[in-house]
Amino acid sequence: MKRPPVLMRLRFHNGDRKFGLWLPLFLLIPLALVVLIILSPLIIIAIVVLWPSGWGKLALLVLQAAWGLLCSMPGLKVDVRNPNQCVYISVI
Amino acid sequence: MTENQKKILEMLSKNKISIDDAYRLLNVIDSGEGEPGSTVKAEPGGKSMPKYLRVTVVPNPEHKNADNVDRVNVRVPMSLIRAGIKLTSLIPSDAMDKVSDTLRDKGIDFDVRSVKSEDLEELIEALGDMEIDVESGKGERVKVFVE
Repeated sequence: MKRPPVLMRLRFHNGDRKFGLWLPLFLLIPLALVVLIILSPLIIIAIVVLWPSGWGKLALLVLQAAWGLLCSMPGLKVDVRNPNQCVYISVI
Repeated sequence: MTENQKKILEMLSKNKISIDDAYRLLNVIDSGEGEPGSTVKAEPGGKSMPKYLRVTVVPNPEHKNADNVDRVNVRVPMSLIRAGIKLTSLIPSDAMDKVSDTLRDKGIDFDVRSVKSEDLEELIEALGDMEIDVESGKGERVKVFVE
């Protein structure tokens, strides 16, 4: 079973300016789930209202695909650098 | 937590290995390849399914411009590519037409709708044989491969 990412590491470097961040997604995802649960009645009403037009089904599929995309992200690594600049993104 | 996982975390805490190495080793153990007495999982025909698509750009040390070349190291999980291709099914048909028209204008005669999920696994399996290695005149060496 796929799991959502637990950590995201960001590092940017542009000349003298440096910025690095460890993003604890394992703390943010439960918060996002709580928000989603709180908003779920509104989401369900919106989906039911939009169902006849076809947009409701699409919204449901988009939510499913977004979760699938999030769970596919562990292992993603982007590292672009030259002597003066650096962009590093790693999802663990 | 298994004994092997504990050992890896101990090595990480003592800075004997990097975070990336620890992640890689834990993944190997998760997939059962690092268990004592277990064998490496392989697909029929001796080929294992690729896990990552890698794109690297490194300077050619023999070239005079080698110091000015950007270094790129991108690792994309195959599962992310699968999820991305599945997302194309959510694109409205009129937007798909525009994408296909734009591709055709650029000389690429490819219909995005023709990518079916059943073809996807075959496509990803075939990627295992792919390796692109290009050396440009600007001192760059571009490699695209799967691992």
